[in-house]
Amino acid sequence: MYEEALEYIKSCEDGVLQSDLWKCLDIDSRKCSRIVSKLLKEDLIKRVPESIDGVRTFRLRYAGISGSSGQFRPLMVGEGFEPCAGCINECVPEHCPELSEWIFAVVLAENSDLCLDQPIKKVSTAKIEQ
Amino acid sequence: MVLIEDPIYRAYLCKLVGEEGLQIVESMPEDEVTDEHVAEITGISLNTVRRTLYLLYEHRLAKYKRERDPESGWLTYLWTLCVENLDRALESEVKKLLRKLGDRLSYEKNNIFYACVGGCARFVFDEASENNFVCPFCGAGLEYMENDRIVSTIEKRMGDLTAAL
Repeated sequence: MYEEALEYIKSCEDGVLQSDLWKCLDIDSRKCSRIVSKLLKEDLIKRVPESIDGVRTFRLRYAGISGSSGQFRPLMVGEGFEPCAGCINECVPEHCPELSEWIFAVVLAENSDLCLDQPIKKVSTAKIEQ
Repeated sequence: MVLIEDPIYRAYLCKLVGEEGLQIVESMPEDEVTDEHVAEITGISLNTVRRTLYLLYEHRLAKYKRERDPESGWLTYLWTLCVENLDRALESEVKKLLRKLGDRLSYEKNNIFYACVGGCARFVFDEASENNFVCPFCGAGLEYMENDRIVSTIEKRMGDLTAAL
């Protein structure tokens, strides 16, 4: 949902009102506030106070990324970089716990309604037999 | 001094060389410099500085020039950062991750998974069956685990990564 919110804000050239964002994303306003706080913390969006028909809200705009690396954002999930960079462990992508955790984090970030409260790690048969 | 402001560059360097390594990168003068000098200006141990510089070198993010002292015959390594190669290094990470996600995707598509209800671990059908569908770690039951969302998320992320190249 976090990434969906960011994509939505990105797609609105004039920005989007926070009071409209949660309706468009079909989430409640409290959850929307939490997502917006996270996006603000990561400097991905900018927030300006605005009043609509006497109701105070905020206009949210995509801040862009300083530098030229924005295209590489899929290497990240939240603030964490993908686990294979600089990894010197024996590589078994099917059973790698670090890769599993990263994939679960991506799943959770993109499907916030998924009921996976704790990441489940793949354990090899060898470990089971120990 | 090389200031790395971009959050993705920072995250990448941090993953590669750690917090201290990032501090070293940001303290490096733009001119050639010896590892001893970097250790001196950062207060970080010479071993860590050397390890960081070699890691950066392996990823083509630093280069060195060797100079021999004519009197003592000692070799001096003069280091320079190559931050201009960051995009190329990230492209290479994208390609590597795509290969690994491809392998993982096949594994997810070709297996049926069972997970411990206590969240200990996930098992493929054969492993779950061998353990009579009981978690070997905590003794709780193993239940069928749908992985459609994992598959679709990996596929989507692979699409995003491919678009980054």
